[in-house]
Amino acid sequence: MTRVHQFHPVLAPGDAMSNHVFALQRRLREWGHEARAYAIEAKPGVDEVLPYRRLFRDAAPEDLVLLHFSMGNEVFTQLAKLRARKVLVYHNITPAEFFRGINAHAATYARLGRRQLVEMAPAMELAIGVSEYDRRELEEAGYARTAHVPILIDWHAYDTTPDDAVMARWDGVRPLLLFVGRVSPHKRQDDLIRLLAYYRACIAPNARLVLVGGYRDQPQYHARLIELVKALHLEPAVTFAGPVSTAELVAYFRSASAFVSLSEHEGFGVPLLEAMKFDVPVIAYDAAAVGETVDGAGVLLKDRDLAQAAEAVGLVLERPALREQLVAAGRERLKAFDPDQVALRTREVLGL
Amino acid sequence: MNEPVDLAAIQAEIRERVQRKRASGAYGDDVRAALELPLPGGRALFSEDLGDPLPALQDTLAEEATYDATSHRRFVGPAITLGRRVVIGLVRWWVAAITDRQERINQLLAQAVIDQRDAPSPQFDERLARLEREWRRWQKDEVAADLESKYFAARFSGDEKDIRSQSESFVELFRGRKRVLDLGSGRGTFLELLRDKGIGGYGVDPDATMNEAVRGRGLEALTADGLSHLRSLADGSIDGLYCRHVAEHVQPGELVAILREARRALEPGSPVVFVTPNPATLTVGAHTFWLDPQHRRPIPPDLFHFYLEVEGYDRVETRTSQPSETRLDESVPAGPVRDNVKLLNATLFGDRDYAVIGWTPAR
Repeated sequence: MTRVHQFHPVLAPGDAMSNHVFALQRRLREWGHEARAYAIEAKPGVDEVLPYRRLFRDAAPEDLVLLHFSMGNEVFTQLAKLRARKVLVYHNITPAEFFRGINAHAATYARLGRRQLVEMAPAMELAIGVSEYDRRELEEAGYARTAHVPILIDWHAYDTTPDDAVMARWDGVRPLLLFVGRVSPHKRQDDLIRLLAYYRACIAPNARLVLVGGYRDQPQYHARLIELVKALHLEPAVTFAGPVSTAELVAYFRSASAFVSLSEHEGFGVPLLEAMKFDVPVIAYDAAAVGETVDGAGVLLKDRDLAQAAEAVGLVLERPALREQLVAAGRERLKAFDPDQVALRTREVLGL
Repeated sequence: MNEPVDLAAIQAEIRERVQRKRASGAYGDDVRAALELPLPGGRALFSEDLGDPLPALQDTLAEEATYDATSHRRFVGPAITLGRRVVIGLVRWWVAAITDRQERINQLLAQAVIDQRDAPSPQFDERLARLEREWRRWQKDEVAADLESKYFAARFSGDEKDIRSQSESFVELFRGRKRVLDLGSGRGTFLELLRDKGIGGYGVDPDATMNEAVRGRGLEALTADGLSHLRSLADGSIDGLYCRHVAEHVQPGELVAILREARRALEPGSPVVFVTPNPATLTVGAHTFWLDPQHRRPIPPDLFHFYLEVEGYDRVETRTSQPSETRLDESVPAGPVRDNVKLLNATLFGDRDYAVIGWTPAR
């Protein structure tokens, strides 16, 4: 029996990283290990999270400490000094360029993160990338032992009744374009809004766009997105749904006609798979790990051309056979992320 | 099990849709403006600025850095604001000294980059000009472009009667077509044949003087380079292509590009005919082909046949024409000698031209 401690700066319900931590914790316990989760901040709605300072007392040299890394934080530098077997789980760090001039705070922590990624390399006995793209970055950052293990997604969590209010609100609204992801400059919600302007002018005048995802962390970008919506006279057509519960998320996926991503940086892209899970066709710009996650189960856009992106969505929606093909390809693709397989692979690389 | 999604086909269709909407005006200036509308309320996203850094650099240098020290936290807010202001006041001149130095560095660097971009580079420009001059001369020399073409034509060009009879044998392939392109229409012989048969067609030739004469006979002839003209055509806008004695004047890569563009511009199920000298007849390949200095290289029939197949044309066939005038006398008794004479006739004095014929795939 090994004791496994997992750390992520913030643990919150509904967040892909936190879900990964808790799903892995359950598995570890099933395998008979003692598993704990630590954070600097635990948001309401998550249980059993210990304050990170406890780690300095709890972690014994033979214990395994998994550091989930997606953003720079001074605490990582301290934790890298722990006398224990340390493993970095890398979810990628959004490059600071995306935040410059729009969110100094995020830019500073992104820069810190990239620096820490390199500095922590000698302290880790293993580094896991959740995509091959992430694993390659680890190698470039100087990690001697790296492995690729996808995010562990607990698909059972989605077996919940879709939220009634959301279902009723979007009942019969077609076409409904959906994107799920924090409102952030690198996710390029601004381009999704421009795309909608084209879509309504050239394809379907009643098209709607729903942007699911928290915007608290990027108030300036969010405010400018609202200005953009006004400038394009799209107020009734664009909805910022904010952070949502799982039941609401399921309802949005059930109501959506297509999942459209123009994100320029994804370390993995869980919502792409969620769309496949709910039989929503995926149209996505091919950036960072997106192509690898979609892998043929969606229309990948190679050129950054909004007119082409909009036409791609239009094509998929007007052609039921193509839509079916994409949906079927999506179901097939999900098999590669079967939680039992991913769990086994995790167990294997961790040597548990 | 479902068929895999053909993403390449989808991409092609998407591009075609955008082009069509652009051409029809549905994707007009207002939509373009919407797609390019900058994010209001501040500078463009930095990741976008990186795409075109110099203008962004100049804008940024002109910008004032601002910082609002006000804290909006409840109760402790005013105290924090006061604290920040005190600290700012204390370090102000120290920070100013650093930023002043940094400002100088930034301005100097930006100016240096801009000067570098705009600076004349005498040696480089001179070498580039020389290279361009030599390249142009090489291009002209390669095909003796300065040769007086009317004297050349008078001595070596083909007999109008021969050209007409050869062209006649292909005109049937175009029966009932509405918009046949004669690429390299020359004196308009084929265009005339088309008109006689009630087939719609037009010609394209780089020779403006000749086109003038052709138009004088009531035919349609445009002055343009063949490949550029094909590129300018919309998908499926022509329904036949005739191209006599052009292929031997262009580089192999250009020929392939012509085949590719033609396939796009032709309606499904349209015929293409390319006529060119037949180098399989050795007196052509070794001698008469080279009577025209503008001929770049002979194209063996098998190769041309292969070009058409590989570029996606169906039912490709090769036909020879224009028998040689000189032939060895075959009227010797049957036996090995006559067989040898026949073989020599076929090898040395076979047909002087050949045509490859193909069809764009039916819908």
